[in-house]
Amino acid sequence: MAKHTAPKRELLALYAEPDQAADAVARLREAGFDDTDVEILSSTPYPEGAFGEGHTKHRLFAFPFAGAACGLAVGTAWVVGAQVSLPIITGGKPVVAVPAVIQILYEGTLLGAVLFTVLGVLFESRLPDGVGLYDDRIAEGYIGVSIMAREHRLPDAQIALEEAEPLDLLSKEGSLMQAPGAA
Amino acid sequence: MIHPEAAGLHLALRPPYRPQALKVSPRHAGAAALAVLGALGVVTYVVKLVTAWGDRAAWAYPTVALMFVLSTATAAPLVAYASRMAKGYWALPVRRIAALYAVPSLLSFVLLIPIMAALPPLEGRSNLWFGFSGGAPFLTDALALSILLLTGLALLWFSAVPDVAGPPSRVRAMPPLRRWLHLNWAGTQKQWKLLRAANLTLGAFYLMGYVYVHMLLSTDLGQSLLPGWRSGIFPAYNALTGIQAGIATILITLALVRKFSPEAGRFIGDEQASALGKILLATVLMWFYFFWSDFLLMWYARLPGEVAAMQTTVAITYVLPFLLALFLMLLIPFVLLIFNRVRQSLTLVAGVSVFIVAGLVFDRIRFYVAPMANPEPFGHVMHELPAPYWPNALDVLFLVGMIGLMFAVYLYAAARVPILNGWEMRQGSMLRKERTFMRARVLVLGKPD
Repeated sequence: MAKHTAPKRELLALYAEPDQAADAVARLREAGFDDTDVEILSSTPYPEGAFGEGHTKHRLFAFPFAGAACGLAVGTAWVVGAQVSLPIITGGKPVVAVPAVIQILYEGTLLGAVLFTVLGVLFESRLPDGVGLYDDRIAEGYIGVSIMAREHRLPDAQIALEEAEPLDLLSKEGSLMQAPGAA
Repeated sequence: MIHPEAAGLHLALRPPYRPQALKVSPRHAGAAALAVLGALGVVTYVVKLVTAWGDRAAWAYPTVALMFVLSTATAAPLVAYASRMAKGYWALPVRRIAALYAVPSLLSFVLLIPIMAALPPLEGRSNLWFGFSGGAPFLTDALALSILLLTGLALLWFSAVPDVAGPPSRVRAMPPLRRWLHLNWAGTQKQWKLLRAANLTLGAFYLMGYVYVHMLLSTDLGQSLLPGWRSGIFPAYNALTGIQAGIATILITLALVRKFSPEAGRFIGDEQASALGKILLATVLMWFYFFWSDFLLMWYARLPGEVAAMQTTVAITYVLPFLLALFLMLLIPFVLLIFNRVRQSLTLVAGVSVFIVAGLVFDRIRFYVAPMANPEPFGHVMHELPAPYWPNALDVLFLVGMIGLMFAVYLYAAARVPILNGWEMRQGSMLRKERTFMRARVLVLGKPD
């Protein structure tokens, strides 16, 4: 039971080639690690699934809909409030006639959708991001494969990552790879 | 076959190719000229503010400047969105150059405020607002334009983050707010996916906002101030000619970047000219389509108010600007762009674009000077044609200065933000290869999503 509640620790492997990173992801999966514990880091966007990773989820698409609904509500309140507070009959039409106020509703809806989309991007980029370890070599073009594993599974994760021949393997304490020639 | 520039097909991924901002020397004659013109724009704007606040006729030519900015700088980022949506890889080196026009677009808001303040009350004249008492047209138009500008800036900001964030050690050392504004960038798969989704979503909103702003302003600053001018086609014409001029502006910018920036220019060539040239030709033809659709209805309907409006903007009062616009935006570009050789050469198609952008000034003069300078905007029909309102020296300086200021602000932005979208170009380099097919070299594209 304690094994399942132990905190997770992170390992980060750096690979020179995308194929090696894809190999590491496959080996982690074979070792029984969940897709949600694996993260790929790269300085260039690769097509989704290029590393064999699981489907990445985000909730950005919910934000414009929520914003549009809020904007429409505010727009409706604005236009109905303004018309009712100063009721002028124009051309025999109702005080609040849809064709006459549609542009205000459009504007309110668009404003809400845009604002919420921007906020959505910021929200989805919030801190903390779940990735603790990082290495500047990723910005130099190397590909990082990060795995969150419980203490007793760390050796399995390390073996899976090492089998894909990483350039370096990092934990919170530093590099786990022995320098060439070291005893 | 048009071959893509070789540099774009062989970009380094390790270390990754990182684009730079333009290196602009203040001693360069072009940059110095733009700085002088920009200063002229600022000075004439202040002079107008001080001497002509509330005087509608005095803001007639500034309205031309406003509609020019809205039809060039504000239209340009649409190309970045459209090419992303249509997965047009030819536009990879074009996207940031187009999106950067979101920065000079801010000038439109600066221009809009005093112009809206000079408008007469809505009562007694045709308008879009049907007696809406909630702040129309000032508040509604200003809000609509703010939404558009905010969307354009957000598009530029998000798409630039991977290029400006730098290595993660730098991002992680930033104060929390700054780090957040850099989207806490680390390059995870989720972040890349989020970035793509944000670009597409905001791009769609930008298009919606662009059309909407053109509808509002072409009506509030045009039709509703010239009694009898009622055209449902004019707002669409206004938006479409804006796209035409926006593409022309991008082509001119591309030619200048290729000429003056060897670093960025090696990615720009005839592939971009050919693709944008075709769209430009289509918009040139649509210029005629929208003009003729509008003209024919009024010609046959013979309603006195509409005829008077047509005589004002086309046939009599502003016939000279109309003819200049006709030749510069339609006839000359059409005759030139039908030749493949012109369309497929960046230098030549940029030359044609200069005609179009110049023609746009006259097109906006014929449409917006008469309404803004009209002393009798009330009623439903004009009883006599308004006299032409020709620019005085201050108006000419204002127009020249504002156009110069727009390009000066662009240059300033391009000197601070990488001029190319490095991450998209690197991805494009992975997904585009030239291969031999029988005895020909063909381009093989991968379109994963």
